[in-house]
Amino acid sequence: MNDTPTYLPESGSWLCAACNQPLVAAPVGVTYLQGGFTITLLTCPACGLSLVPEFLAVGKMFEVEQLLEDK
Amino acid sequence: MTVTESLCPVCLARLPARREIVGEDGWLVRTCPQHGEFRSRFWHGPPGLAGWERPKTPRLGSTPAGTAPGEGCPFVCGLCPEHTQRTCTVVFEITGRCNLGCPVCFADAGTGFAADPTLAAVETRLMRARRAAGPANLQLSGGEPTLRTDLPEIVALAKKAGFPFVQLNTNGLALAADPALAGRLAGAGLDSVFLQCDGVSDAVHVALRGRSLAREKRAAIDACAAANLGVVLVATLVPGVNDGEVGALIRLAATLAPAVRGVHFQPAAHFGRYPGNGANAPRLTLPEVMAALEGQTEGMVRAADLHPPCCEHSLCSFSATYRVAPGGRLTLAGGGGCCDKSAIPAEEGARQSMAFVARQWGAAKAAPAGEQIKDDFDRFLAAAAAAPSLSISAMAFMDAWTLDLERARGCCIHVAAPDDRLIPFCLYNLTAADGTALYRRKTCA
Repeated sequence: MNDTPTYLPESGSWLCAACNQPLVAAPVGVTYLQGGFTITLLTCPACGLSLVPEFLAVGKMFEVEQLLEDK
Repeated sequence: MTVTESLCPVCLARLPARREIVGEDGWLVRTCPQHGEFRSRFWHGPPGLAGWERPKTPRLGSTPAGTAPGEGCPFVCGLCPEHTQRTCTVVFEITGRCNLGCPVCFADAGTGFAADPTLAAVETRLMRARRAAGPANLQLSGGEPTLRTDLPEIVALAKKAGFPFVQLNTNGLALAADPALAGRLAGAGLDSVFLQCDGVSDAVHVALRGRSLAREKRAAIDACAAANLGVVLVATLVPGVNDGEVGALIRLAATLAPAVRGVHFQPAAHFGRYPGNGANAPRLTLPEVMAALEGQTEGMVRAADLHPPCCEHSLCSFSATYRVAPGGRLTLAGGGGCCDKSAIPAEEGARQSMAFVARQWGAAKAAPAGEQIKDDFDRFLAAAAAAPSLSISAMAFMDAWTLDLERARGCCIHVAAPDDRLIPFCLYNLTAADGTALYRRKTCA
Protein backbone atom coordinates (compact mmCIF):
# COMPACT_ATOMS: atom_id res chain seq x y z
CA MET A 1 0.00 0.00 0.00
CA ASN A 2 1.02 3.61 -0.31
CA ASP A 3 0.32 6.63 1.89
CA THR A 4 -0.21 9.24 -0.85
CA PRO A 5 -3.43 11.33 -0.90
CA THR A 6 -6.32 9.31 -2.28
CA TYR A 7 -8.99 10.72 -4.59
CA LEU A 8 -11.82 8.28 -5.13
CA PRO A 9 -15.24 8.81 -6.73
CA GLU A 10 -17.92 9.67 -4.19
CA SER A 11 -19.89 6.54 -4.99
CA GLY A 12 -20.23 3.59 -7.29
CA SER A 13 -18.50 0.39 -8.17
CA TRP A 14 -16.31 1.07 -11.16
CA LEU A 15 -15.30 -1.13 -14.06
CA CYS A 16 -12.90 -0.28 -16.88
CA ALA A 17 -15.09 0.07 -19.97
CA ALA A 18 -12.36 -1.23 -22.26
CA CYS A 19 -11.11 -4.17 -20.16
CA ASN A 20 -14.18 -4.97 -18.02
CA GLN A 21 -11.90 -5.17 -14.99
CA PRO A 22 -12.79 -3.71 -11.58
CA LEU A 23 -10.71 -0.61 -10.87
CA VAL A 24 -8.32 -0.76 -7.92
CA ALA A 25 -6.64 2.02 -5.94
CA ALA A 26 -3.09 2.53 -7.18
CA PRO A 27 -0.37 5.20 -7.05
CA VAL A 28 -0.35 7.54 -10.06
CA GLY A 29 2.30 10.11 -10.96
CA VAL A 30 1.10 13.67 -11.62
CA THR A 31 3.55 15.79 -13.60
CA TYR A 32 3.41 19.54 -14.11
CA LEU A 33 6.30 21.11 -16.01
CA GLN A 34 9.48 20.19 -14.18
CA GLY A 35 7.78 19.06 -10.97
CA GLY A 36 5.54 16.23 -9.97
CA PHE A 37 4.04 14.20 -7.17
CA THR A 38 2.18 10.97 -6.57
CA ILE A 39 -1.49 10.51 -5.72
CA THR A 40 -3.77 7.49 -5.44
CA LEU A 41 -6.54 6.99 -8.00
CA LEU A 42 -8.75 4.12 -9.09
CA THR A 43 -6.85 2.43 -11.89
CA CYS A 44 -7.48 -0.45 -14.27
CA PRO A 45 -5.05 -3.27 -13.44
CA ALA A 46 -5.13 -4.40 -17.08
CA CYS A 47 -4.61 -1.25 -19.16
CA GLY A 48 -3.39 1.16 -16.47
CA LEU A 49 -5.86 3.96 -17.26
CA SER A 50 -6.92 5.90 -14.16
CA LEU A 51 -10.20 7.49 -13.16
CA VAL A 52 -9.90 11.16 -12.18
CA PRO A 53 -13.01 11.88 -10.11
CA GLU A 54 -15.06 14.88 -11.15
CA PHE A 55 -14.44 16.88 -7.97
CA LEU A 56 -10.69 16.68 -8.59
CA ALA A 57 -10.88 17.35 -12.34
CA VAL A 58 -12.95 20.50 -11.95
CA GLY A 59 -11.41 21.44 -8.60
CA LYS A 60 -7.76 21.53 -7.66
CA MET A 61 -6.54 19.93 -10.87
CA PHE A 62 -8.37 22.59 -12.89
CA GLU A 63 -6.89 25.36 -10.72
CA VAL A 64 -3.37 24.09 -11.27
CA GLU A 65 -3.88 23.70 -15.00
CA GLN A 66 -5.29 27.22 -15.24
CA LEU A 67 -2.04 28.50 -13.78
CA LEU A 68 -0.21 26.92 -16.67
CA GLU A 69 -2.53 27.91 -19.52
CA ASP A 70 -1.32 30.88 -21.53
CA LYS A 71 -3.03 33.08 -24.04
CA MET B 1 4.80 37.95 -50.58
CA THR B 2 1.21 37.37 -49.46
CA VAL B 3 -1.95 39.01 -50.69
CA THR B 4 -4.61 40.84 -48.73
CA GLU B 5 -6.78 43.92 -49.13
CA SER B 6 -6.51 47.43 -47.78
CA LEU B 7 -7.93 50.92 -48.20
CA CYS B 8 -6.58 54.08 -49.79
CA PRO B 9 -5.70 56.26 -46.79
CA VAL B 10 -6.90 59.32 -48.70
CA CYS B 11 -10.27 58.30 -50.17
CA LEU B 12 -10.85 55.02 -48.24
CA ALA B 13 -11.46 53.09 -51.48
CA ARG B 14 -10.93 49.33 -51.03
CA LEU B 15 -7.84 48.13 -52.88
CA PRO B 16 -6.07 44.83 -53.47
CA ALA B 17 -2.86 44.84 -51.44
CA ARG B 18 0.20 42.72 -50.88
CA ARG B 19 2.54 42.13 -47.97
CA GLU B 20 6.12 42.41 -49.19
CA ILE B 21 8.83 40.82 -47.10
CA VAL B 22 12.17 42.60 -47.31
CA GLY B 23 14.66 40.88 -45.04
CA GLU B 24 13.04 40.91 -41.61
CA ASP B 25 10.67 43.73 -42.50
CA GLY B 26 7.10 43.58 -43.76
CA TRP B 27 5.54 46.24 -45.98
CA LEU B 28 1.88 46.67 -46.90
CA VAL B 29 1.68 47.92 -50.49
CA ARG B 30 -1.31 48.99 -52.57
CA THR B 31 -2.06 51.44 -55.35
CA CYS B 32 -5.08 53.73 -55.55
CA PRO B 33 -6.00 54.66 -59.14
CA GLN B 34 -6.62 58.20 -57.92
CA HIS B 35 -3.99 58.72 -55.22
CA GLY B 36 -1.10 56.50 -56.21
CA GLU B 37 0.95 53.89 -54.38
CA PHE B 38 1.11 53.60 -50.60
CA ARG B 39 3.81 51.56 -48.83
CA SER B 40 3.55 51.19 -45.06
CA ARG B 41 5.96 49.23 -42.92
CA PHE B 42 4.04 47.09 -40.44
CA TRP B 43 6.88 44.84 -39.21
CA HIS B 44 10.46 45.90 -38.59
CA GLY B 45 13.27 43.67 -37.44
CA PRO B 46 13.71 40.27 -35.80
CA PRO B 47 12.05 37.83 -35.37
CA GLY B 48 10.94 38.55 -38.94
CA LEU B 49 7.66 37.38 -40.38
CA ALA B 50 8.73 33.85 -41.27
CA GLY B 51 7.44 31.57 -38.55
CA TRP B 52 5.51 34.28 -36.70
CA GLU B 53 2.16 32.67 -37.16
CA ARG B 54 -0.69 31.15 -35.18
CA PRO B 55 -3.32 30.27 -37.78
CA LYS B 56 -6.95 30.00 -36.76
CA THR B 57 -9.25 27.51 -38.39
CA PRO B 58 -13.02 27.86 -38.57
CA ARG B 59 -14.87 25.74 -36.07
CA LEU B 60 -15.68 22.29 -37.39
CA GLY B 61 -19.29 22.01 -38.42
CA SER B 62 -19.87 25.75 -38.41
CA THR B 63 -21.61 27.48 -41.26
CA PRO B 64 -19.17 28.14 -44.08
CA ALA B 65 -18.10 31.77 -44.24
CA GLY B 66 -20.09 33.79 -46.72
CA THR B 67 -19.35 37.12 -48.31
CA ALA B 68 -20.05 40.58 -47.03
CA PRO B 69 -23.26 42.09 -48.38
CA GLY B 70 -23.63 45.33 -50.33
CA GLU B 71 -20.51 47.44 -50.50
CA GLY B 72 -18.54 44.67 -48.81
CA CYS B 73 -15.78 44.60 -46.23
CA PRO B 74 -15.01 46.91 -44.41
CA PHE B 75 -18.03 49.12 -45.16
CA VAL B 76 -20.85 46.95 -43.81
CA CYS B 77 -19.57 46.06 -40.35
CA GLY B 78 -21.67 44.52 -37.71
CA LEU B 79 -19.72 41.28 -38.03
CA CYS B 80 -20.59 40.04 -41.52
CA PRO B 81 -20.16 36.50 -42.86
CA GLU B 82 -16.59 37.28 -43.95
CA HIS B 83 -15.47 37.84 -40.37
CA THR B 84 -13.34 34.96 -39.09
CA GLN B 85 -13.28 35.41 -35.32
CA ARG B 86 -15.92 35.83 -32.66
CA THR B 87 -15.97 38.62 -30.10
CA CYS B 88 -13.69 38.06 -27.12
CA THR B 89 -13.87 41.64 -25.82
CA VAL B 90 -16.71 44.11 -26.24
CA VAL B 91 -15.54 47.71 -25.94
CA PHE B 92 -18.44 49.79 -24.68
CA GLU B 93 -18.15 53.58 -24.57
CA ILE B 94 -20.28 55.19 -21.90
CA THR B 95 -19.23 58.82 -22.38
CA GLY B 96 -17.41 61.03 -24.84
CA ARG B 97 -16.31 63.41 -22.08
CA CYS B 98 -12.80 63.41 -20.70
CA ASN B 99 -10.85 65.15 -17.93
CA LEU B 100 -7.60 65.17 -19.88
CA GLY B 101 -6.95 66.80 -23.23
CA CYS B 102 -4.30 64.46 -24.56
CA PRO B 103 -2.55 65.38 -27.81
CA VAL B 104 -2.95 61.69 -28.75
CA CYS B 105 -6.42 60.09 -28.46
CA PHE B 106 -7.80 57.37 -30.69
CA ALA B 107 -11.32 58.30 -29.67
CA ASP B 108 -10.74 62.05 -30.14
CA ALA B 109 -12.50 62.34 -26.79
CA GLY B 110 -13.51 65.52 -25.07
CA THR B 111 -14.10 67.52 -28.23
CA GLY B 112 -17.77 66.80 -28.77
CA PHE B 113 -20.97 67.83 -27.11
CA ALA B 114 -23.02 64.65 -27.42
CA ALA B 115 -24.86 63.86 -24.22
CA ASP B 116 -23.94 60.67 -22.38
CA PRO B 117 -26.37 57.82 -22.98
CA THR B 118 -28.84 57.51 -20.10
CA LEU B 119 -28.52 54.66 -17.62
CA ALA B 120 -31.62 53.05 -19.15
CA ALA B 121 -30.11 53.31 -22.64
CA VAL B 122 -26.85 51.84 -21.39
CA GLU B 123 -28.74 48.91 -19.86
CA THR B 124 -30.58 48.18 -23.10
CA ARG B 125 -27.42 48.42 -25.17
CA LEU B 126 -25.46 46.22 -22.77
CA MET B 127 -28.08 43.50 -23.04
CA ARG B 128 -28.09 43.73 -26.84
CA ALA B 129 -24.29 43.65 -26.95
CA ARG B 130 -24.21 40.59 -24.71
CA ARG B 131 -26.75 38.85 -26.90
CA ALA B 132 -24.77 39.64 -30.06
CA ALA B 133 -21.35 38.81 -28.63
CA GLY B 134 -22.09 35.80 -26.47
CA PRO B 135 -20.27 35.40 -23.15
CA ALA B 136 -17.42 37.77 -23.97
CA ASN B 137 -15.34 40.01 -21.73
CA LEU B 138 -16.41 43.65 -21.49
CA GLN B 139 -14.35 46.81 -21.34
CA LEU B 140 -16.10 50.01 -20.27
CA SER B 141 -14.44 52.85 -22.12
CA GLY B 142 -14.93 56.38 -23.33
CA GLY B 143 -13.98 59.23 -23.12
CA GLU B 144 -13.14 58.86 -19.46
CA PRO B 145 -15.75 56.52 -17.94
CA THR B 146 -15.13 57.69 -14.36
CA LEU B 147 -16.69 61.05 -15.21
CA ARG B 148 -20.02 59.30 -14.91
CA THR B 149 -21.22 59.37 -11.32
CA ASP B 150 -23.41 56.34 -12.05
CA LEU B 151 -20.40 54.20 -13.03
CA PRO B 152 -20.95 51.65 -10.22
CA GLU B 153 -24.53 51.19 -11.42
CA ILE B 154 -23.26 50.67 -14.99
CA VAL B 155 -20.79 48.04 -13.76
CA ALA B 156 -23.61 46.26 -11.96
CA LEU B 157 -25.77 46.40 -15.10
CA ALA B 158 -22.93 44.91 -17.14
CA LYS B 159 -22.71 41.99 -14.75
CA LYS B 160 -26.47 41.62 -14.77
CA ALA B 161 -26.41 41.57 -18.58
CA GLY B 162 -24.18 38.50 -18.36
CA PHE B 163 -20.65 39.76 -18.98
CA PRO B 164 -18.52 37.49 -16.79
CA PHE B 165 -15.48 39.80 -16.75
CA VAL B 166 -15.82 43.58 -16.63
CA GLN B 167 -12.86 45.89 -17.02
CA LEU B 168 -12.63 49.67 -16.73
CA ASN B 169 -10.47 51.60 -19.19
CA THR B 170 -9.39 54.73 -17.32
CA ASN B 171 -6.71 57.36 -16.87
CA GLY B 172 -7.00 56.76 -13.12
CA LEU B 173 -7.44 60.40 -12.04
CA ALA B 174 -10.77 59.76 -10.34
CA LEU B 175 -9.47 56.59 -8.67
CA ALA B 176 -6.56 58.60 -7.28
CA ALA B 177 -8.69 61.53 -6.14
CA ASP B 178 -11.32 59.40 -4.40
CA PRO B 179 -9.78 56.21 -3.00
CA ALA B 180 -13.26 54.97 -2.01
CA LEU B 181 -14.33 54.83 -5.67
CA ALA B 182 -12.32 51.65 -6.35
CA GLY B 183 -14.14 49.91 -3.51
CA ARG B 184 -17.53 51.01 -4.81
CA LEU B 185 -16.67 49.72 -8.28
CA ALA B 186 -15.35 46.42 -6.91
CA GLY B 187 -18.53 46.11 -4.85
CA ALA B 188 -20.57 46.54 -8.02
CA GLY B 189 -18.68 43.69 -9.66
CA LEU B 190 -15.76 45.32 -11.46
CA ASP B 191 -12.92 42.85 -12.04
CA SER B 192 -10.07 44.82 -13.53
CA VAL B 193 -8.73 48.28 -14.30
CA PHE B 194 -7.00 48.97 -17.62
CA LEU B 195 -4.94 51.90 -16.35
CA GLN B 196 -3.48 54.25 -18.91
CA CYS B 197 0.17 54.59 -17.83
CA ASP B 198 2.59 55.58 -20.56
CA GLY B 199 5.77 55.49 -18.52
CA VAL B 200 7.30 56.13 -15.14
CA SER B 201 8.50 59.71 -15.54
CA ASP B 202 6.47 62.87 -15.47
CA ALA B 203 8.26 63.97 -18.65
CA VAL B 204 6.48 61.17 -20.54
CA HIS B 205 3.09 62.03 -19.05
CA VAL B 206 3.59 65.71 -19.89
CA ALA B 207 4.53 64.88 -23.48
CA LEU B 208 1.63 62.50 -24.11
CA ARG B 209 -1.06 63.69 -21.69
CA GLY B 210 -0.23 67.34 -21.14
CA ARG B 211 0.52 67.18 -17.41
CA SER B 212 2.43 65.39 -14.65
CA LEU B 213 0.62 62.22 -13.64
CA ALA B 214 3.12 59.85 -12.02
CA ARG B 215 1.78 60.55 -8.51
CA GLU B 216 -1.83 60.03 -9.57
CA LYS B 217 -1.03 56.76 -11.35
CA ARG B 218 0.58 55.39 -8.23
CA ALA B 219 -2.33 56.49 -6.05
CA ALA B 220 -4.78 54.86 -8.47
CA ILE B 221 -2.83 51.58 -8.35
CA ASP B 222 -2.81 51.68 -4.53
CA ALA B 223 -6.56 52.31 -4.44
CA CYS B 224 -7.22 49.39 -6.79
CA ALA B 225 -4.95 47.11 -4.77
CA ALA B 226 -6.84 47.99 -1.60
CA ALA B 227 -10.12 47.18 -3.34
CA ASN B 228 -8.78 43.88 -4.76
CA LEU B 229 -9.11 45.03 -8.38
CA GLY B 230 -6.58 43.69 -10.86
CA VAL B 231 -4.57 46.44 -12.57
CA VAL B 232 -3.08 46.37 -16.05
CA LEU B 233 -0.68 49.19 -16.91
CA VAL B 234 -1.38 50.30 -20.47
CA ALA B 235 1.17 52.37 -22.34
CA THR B 236 0.53 54.11 -25.63
CA LEU B 237 3.97 54.02 -27.25
CA VAL B 238 5.18 56.90 -29.39
CA PRO B 239 8.65 56.53 -30.90
CA GLY B 240 11.14 58.96 -29.42
CA VAL B 241 8.77 59.92 -26.61
CA ASN B 242 8.32 56.93 -24.31
CA ASP B 243 9.72 53.87 -26.05
CA GLY B 244 12.77 54.34 -23.80
CA GLU B 245 10.67 53.65 -20.68
CA VAL B 246 9.27 50.22 -21.47
CA GLY B 247 11.88 48.51 -19.29
CA ALA B 248 11.30 50.92 -16.40
CA LEU B 249 7.56 50.29 -16.66
CA ILE B 250 8.11 46.52 -16.52
CA ARG B 251 10.29 46.93 -13.42
CA LEU B 252 7.66 49.15 -11.76
CA ALA B 253 4.95 46.60 -12.55
CA ALA B 254 7.07 43.77 -11.13
CA THR B 255 7.55 45.62 -7.85
CA LEU B 256 3.79 46.18 -7.65
CA ALA B 257 2.73 42.61 -8.47
CA PRO B 258 0.37 40.96 -7.65
CA ALA B 259 -1.69 44.21 -7.50
CA VAL B 260 -0.43 44.92 -11.01
CA ARG B 261 -1.31 41.92 -13.14
CA GLY B 262 0.06 42.92 -16.52
CA VAL B 263 1.66 45.53 -18.73
CA HIS B 264 0.10 46.10 -22.12
CA PHE B 265 1.74 48.18 -24.84
CA GLN B 266 -0.17 49.87 -27.62
CA PRO B 267 2.07 51.44 -30.29
CA ALA B 268 0.23 54.62 -31.29
CA ALA B 269 -1.78 54.39 -34.48
CA HIS B 270 -2.64 57.43 -36.54
CA PHE B 271 -6.36 57.71 -35.94
CA GLY B 272 -8.61 59.99 -33.97
CA ARG B 273 -6.49 62.81 -32.56
CA TYR B 274 -2.83 62.52 -33.48
CA PRO B 275 -0.46 65.34 -34.35
CA GLY B 276 1.25 65.51 -37.72
CA ASN B 277 0.78 63.81 -41.04
CA GLY B 278 -0.23 60.14 -41.00
CA ALA B 279 1.73 59.39 -44.15
CA ASN B 280 5.04 60.31 -42.52
CA ALA B 281 4.23 59.51 -38.90
CA PRO B 282 6.86 57.38 -37.18
CA ARG B 283 5.31 54.04 -36.25
CA LEU B 284 6.55 51.51 -33.78
CA THR B 285 5.97 47.93 -34.92
CA LEU B 286 5.66 44.85 -32.70
CA PRO B 287 9.26 43.61 -33.27
CA GLU B 288 10.57 47.02 -32.19
CA VAL B 289 8.61 46.74 -28.96
CA MET B 290 10.05 43.25 -28.46
CA ALA B 291 13.58 44.61 -29.00
CA ALA B 292 12.97 47.46 -26.57
CA LEU B 293 11.71 45.00 -23.94
CA GLU B 294 14.76 42.79 -24.32
CA GLY B 295 17.21 45.69 -24.42
CA GLN B 296 15.75 47.54 -21.45
CA THR B 297 15.21 44.62 -19.07
CA GLU B 298 18.76 43.25 -19.15
CA GLY B 299 17.36 40.26 -21.00
CA MET B 300 14.82 39.29 -18.30
CA VAL B 301 12.24 39.60 -21.06
CA ARG B 302 13.56 38.08 -24.26
CA ALA B 303 12.03 38.59 -27.68
CA ALA B 304 12.08 34.79 -28.02
CA ASP B 305 9.73 34.51 -25.01
CA LEU B 306 6.95 36.38 -26.80
CA HIS B 307 4.44 34.45 -28.85
CA PRO B 308 1.70 35.28 -31.35
CA PRO B 309 -1.90 35.26 -30.12
CA CYS B 310 -4.31 32.34 -30.13
CA CYS B 311 -7.38 34.54 -30.66
CA GLU B 312 -6.78 37.59 -32.90
CA HIS B 313 -4.74 37.63 -36.13
CA SER B 314 -1.10 36.65 -35.66
CA LEU B 315 0.20 40.03 -36.85
CA CYS B 316 -1.85 41.96 -34.31
CA SER B 317 -0.25 41.13 -30.97
CA PHE B 318 2.25 39.29 -28.85
CA SER B 319 2.30 38.20 -25.24
CA ALA B 320 4.06 36.15 -22.60
CA THR B 321 3.52 35.48 -18.93
CA TYR B 322 6.23 35.69 -16.28
CA ARG B 323 6.65 34.78 -12.65
CA VAL B 324 7.85 37.59 -10.42
CA ALA B 325 10.34 36.33 -7.88
CA PRO B 326 10.96 38.29 -4.68
CA GLY B 327 13.07 41.28 -5.66
CA GLY B 328 11.21 41.71 -8.93
CA ARG B 329 13.16 39.20 -11.03
CA LEU B 330 11.07 37.87 -13.92
CA THR B 331 11.22 34.31 -15.21
CA LEU B 332 9.14 33.00 -18.06
CA ALA B 333 6.14 31.09 -16.73
CA GLY B 334 5.33 27.63 -17.93
CA GLY B 335 8.73 27.06 -19.49
CA GLY B 336 7.60 28.89 -22.62
CA GLY B 337 6.35 25.71 -24.23
CA CYS B 338 2.65 26.09 -23.52
CA CYS B 339 1.79 27.97 -26.68
CA ASP B 340 2.75 26.24 -29.84
CA LYS B 341 2.37 27.87 -33.21
CA SER B 342 0.20 25.21 -34.79
CA ALA B 343 -3.25 26.01 -36.11
CA ILE B 344 -5.95 26.38 -33.50
CA PRO B 345 -9.73 26.41 -34.01
CA ALA B 346 -10.85 30.04 -33.86
CA GLU B 347 -13.49 29.30 -31.23
CA GLU B 348 -11.00 27.46 -28.99
CA GLY B 349 -8.46 30.29 -29.39
CA ALA B 350 -11.10 32.79 -28.32
CA ARG B 351 -12.06 30.65 -25.33
CA GLN B 352 -8.45 30.36 -24.20
CA SER B 353 -7.85 34.07 -24.63
CA MET B 354 -11.00 35.14 -22.77
CA ALA B 355 -10.27 32.77 -19.91
CA PHE B 356 -6.66 33.91 -19.70
CA VAL B 357 -7.60 37.60 -19.67
CA ALA B 358 -10.25 37.07 -17.01
CA ARG B 359 -7.83 35.14 -14.84
CA GLN B 360 -4.64 37.12 -15.42
CA TRP B 361 -6.04 40.65 -15.58
CA GLY B 362 -8.45 40.23 -12.69
CA ALA B 363 -7.26 40.24 -9.07
CA ALA B 364 -4.88 37.47 -8.08
CA LYS B 365 -6.76 34.55 -6.60
CA ALA B 366 -5.99 33.78 -2.97
CA ALA B 367 -3.81 30.70 -2.70
CA PRO B 368 -4.20 28.06 0.00
CA ALA B 369 -2.08 28.78 3.07
CA GLY B 370 -1.38 27.26 6.48
CA GLU B 371 -3.94 24.67 7.49
CA GLN B 372 -5.67 24.94 4.10
CA ILE B 373 -2.72 23.15 2.51
CA LYS B 374 -3.76 19.52 2.55
CA ASP B 375 -2.04 17.94 -0.44
CA ASP B 376 0.46 18.47 -3.24
CA PHE B 377 -2.07 20.32 -5.42
CA ASP B 378 -2.43 22.89 -2.63
CA ARG B 379 1.36 23.06 -2.24
CA PHE B 380 1.69 23.68 -6.00
CA LEU B 381 -0.87 26.51 -5.84
CA ALA B 382 0.77 28.04 -2.75
CA ALA B 383 4.22 27.92 -4.35
CA ALA B 384 2.89 29.59 -7.50
CA ALA B 385 1.31 32.38 -5.44
CA ALA B 386 4.66 33.13 -3.82
CA ALA B 387 5.88 34.21 -7.27
CA PRO B 388 2.88 36.05 -8.73
CA SER B 389 2.39 36.11 -12.46
CA LEU B 390 2.70 39.19 -14.66
CA SER B 391 1.63 39.27 -18.29
CA ILE B 392 3.48 41.34 -20.85
CA SER B 393 1.68 41.99 -24.09
CA ALA B 394 1.32 44.40 -26.97
CA MET B 395 -1.30 45.03 -29.60
CA ALA B 396 -0.61 46.76 -32.89
CA PHE B 397 -3.62 48.81 -33.95
CA MET B 398 -4.04 49.56 -37.63
CA ASP B 399 -4.68 53.02 -39.01
CA ALA B 400 -5.61 54.04 -42.56
CA TRP B 401 -2.00 53.59 -43.68
CA THR B 402 -1.41 50.19 -42.12
CA LEU B 403 -4.90 48.68 -42.49
CA ASP B 404 -4.78 45.04 -43.59
CA LEU B 405 -8.29 43.72 -44.10
CA GLU B 406 -7.32 40.11 -43.46
CA ARG B 407 -6.21 41.21 -40.00
CA ALA B 408 -9.40 43.23 -39.50
CA ARG B 409 -11.50 40.19 -40.42
CA GLY B 410 -9.68 38.18 -37.75
CA CYS B 411 -10.26 40.80 -35.06
CA CYS B 412 -11.84 39.76 -31.75
CA ILE B 413 -12.02 43.18 -30.06
CA HIS B 414 -15.25 44.78 -31.09
CA VAL B 415 -16.74 48.14 -30.24
CA ALA B 416 -20.46 48.07 -29.44
CA ALA B 417 -21.54 50.98 -31.62
CA PRO B 418 -24.45 53.20 -30.50
CA ASP B 419 -26.63 51.49 -33.13
CA ASP B 420 -25.82 48.09 -31.54
CA ARG B 421 -23.51 46.85 -34.29
CA LEU B 422 -20.29 45.13 -33.20
CA ILE B 423 -17.44 46.71 -35.17
CA PRO B 424 -13.75 45.68 -35.09
CA PHE B 425 -11.86 48.19 -32.95
CA CYS B 426 -9.46 49.45 -35.62
CA LEU B 427 -12.21 49.90 -38.19
CA TYR B 428 -14.41 51.72 -35.72
CA ASN B 429 -11.65 54.20 -34.96
CA LEU B 430 -10.15 54.44 -38.42
CA THR B 431 -9.90 57.91 -39.93
CA ALA B 432 -8.73 58.92 -43.42
CA ALA B 433 -5.92 61.39 -44.04
CA ASP B 434 -8.37 64.30 -43.80
CA GLY B 435 -9.90 63.00 -40.55
CA THR B 436 -13.01 61.49 -42.14
CA ALA B 437 -14.13 58.58 -39.97
CA LEU B 438 -14.99 55.21 -41.46
CA TYR B 439 -17.42 54.50 -38.61
CA ARG B 440 -17.10 56.60 -35.47
CA ARG B 441 -19.92 59.10 -35.36
CA LYS B 442 -18.67 62.65 -35.20
CA THR B 443 -19.93 64.34 -32.07
CA CYS B 444 -19.42 67.90 -33.22
CA ALA B 445 -19.32 69.75 -36.49
